Amino acid sequence: MGQVIQKKDHSGKLLLPAVVVVALITQIPFLMTIILSLLKWNIKRPDQGISFTGFNNYREIFTDPNFWVVIINTVVILIACLALCTVIAVLLGVLFNRDLFLGYFCRSIIIIPYFVMDCVVGIVWKTLLLNPSLGLNYYISSFFGFSPIDFFGAYSLVTIIILIVWQWTPFFFLIIFAGLQSVPGEVLESAQLEGASGLQTLLQIQVPIIKAHINTAMTLGLINILKVFGLVYVTTQGGPGYRSANLPYLTYRTVFFNWSIGEAAALAVVTVAITLFLTQKFFSATTRH
Amino acid sequence: MFTLNYEKRRYLIFSTIAIVITFLWIFPIIYMVISSFKEEVQVAIPRLFFKPTIENYQEVISATFFKSLKNSIIVTLGTVLFTTLLAVPASYALVYSKVRSPNGIYFWFVSTTFLPAIAVIMPVFILFQKIRMIDSHIALILLYTGAGVPMMIWLITNFFKEIPSDIVEATKIDGCNRWQTFYLVMLPLVRNGIVSAAFLVFIITWNEFFFAITITYTESTTLAVYMSKYMTQQGYFWGKMSATGTLIVMIPIVLGFSAQKALVRGLTSGSVKG
Repeated sequence: MGQVIQKKDHSGKLLLPAVVVVALITQIPFLMTIILSLLKWNIKRPDQGISFTGFNNYREIFTDPNFWVVIINTVVILIACLALCTVIAVLLGVLFNRDLFLGYFCRSIIIIPYFVMDCVVGIVWKTLLLNPSLGLNYYISSFFGFSPIDFFGAYSLVTIIILIVWQWTPFFFLIIFAGLQSVPGEVLESAQLEGASGLQTLLQIQVPIIKAHINTAMTLGLINILKVFGLVYVTTQGGPGYRSANLPYLTYRTVFFNWSIGEAAALAVVTVAITLFLTQKFFSATTRH
Repeated sequence: MFTLNYEKRRYLIFSTIAIVITFLWIFPIIYMVISSFKEEVQVAIPRLFFKPTIENYQEVISATFFKSLKNSIIVTLGTVLFTTLLAVPASYALVYSKVRSPNGIYFWFVSTTFLPAIAVIMPVFILFQKIRMIDSHIALILLYTGAGVPMMIWLITNFFKEIPSDIVEATKIDGCNRWQTFYLVMLPLVRNGIVSAAFLVFIITWNEFFFAITITYTESTTLAVYMSKYMTQQGYFWGKMSATGTLIVMIPIVLGFSAQKALVRGLTSGSVKG
């Protein structure tokens, strides 16, 4: 494709500004984060100074029981959300992949949660919908005569999962629906003529054809669900205790509450390592046939 | 006769299910919009029938709201502008220039979007504080541009690749120089893709919270930070909160509608063939 224009070619330089900006803002700070993770440095305690501590920060976080709670939370959130988003999105896709009254309209409307600011999402759910002492949650439970569920207390992790699923399923749906639409109608018709049931058609014909779309949705979902921060910040603040904190939130707290730069940097490096590890595992698991 | 009825019934049943599910799914948004037109007490103790009031909006539209709105607009438009100026030439060069391993560079860009914000915030925070750029528009714009450029390159490179090569060849024979070819021939073909990608960058920047809460304090706080202030309110300001939320989400939703198609095309083109 690039061979069309053969003359001496300096247009490759057009890449340079983008490469420089992206490197300066993403790669170089990340390399510096790795260096910071080897330092003992508390910003709010200049008297203690900055010193090199090797892997002490890592040792410290790995021996902190709260860290393991947060790791488990992060993995639980990730697996639950990926599974729920994918299954619901496939079901929605099958539902909408036919002639429907107002089908196009509904399809465009149901995407909305993906475009809504997560701070707004979190606060609206936390107050209007799920608050146990006022609002809809209280109203409905007192109407039926039971005590309202405290979504942000004992069930905070489940609530976070519900909110993420609500916000991210539309994104999965967007991609998976595009895949379902690309399945030729004749294929489905001939499956029907062969006497395949709806479920058989879905699992044995449609899902294999749209596998690439499902993989794309899940990979992008994985990356973004691991990054979730605002939702946790405005709803549970990771609480009670650490019960609904994920890795980004724990790292944020370590920087901006404890001001412990070294430790927070170590947490950030661990987060990146986990992201890369999971993405890679996911890639190799799904591209193998 | 029977089959026709059967088809018709299926059509009705599935349409109803789809409409009900859609309604339930976006109910939180609808409920927020409705609540924004209620008096506070009607929000706290939900009432189905009420006389709509715009009182909440009148109170919400205040100096601090406008300041955050102004900041959000400056930061978001600045980001979209810089991102487009950097990403469009880069995508062009990845497809039409002789660079070493364009695929490698393309995937390097894509891979930077995997990087969580917490992985870069500490050095950036320390640096910005040293050079007194913390709490400034330009600091936010820089960070968001760093995140937006890879996103946009990811979404639009394939639009450049899909331009039929005989069209490009023909313009060369007609004596167009490269700039003319780009401007007169390619740009009209990829314009929709670029606009949609710009919309998406707009939406993501507008909604971004992590950088906004960490590197702004008072002067450059965006709407996301303004909104987060409502998180501790215990039921006295839910009407105003709903009004604020409604105002904040309007623009992204409208832009989102028009970006949907290109979003799917861009995101799936890298990994999905055909």
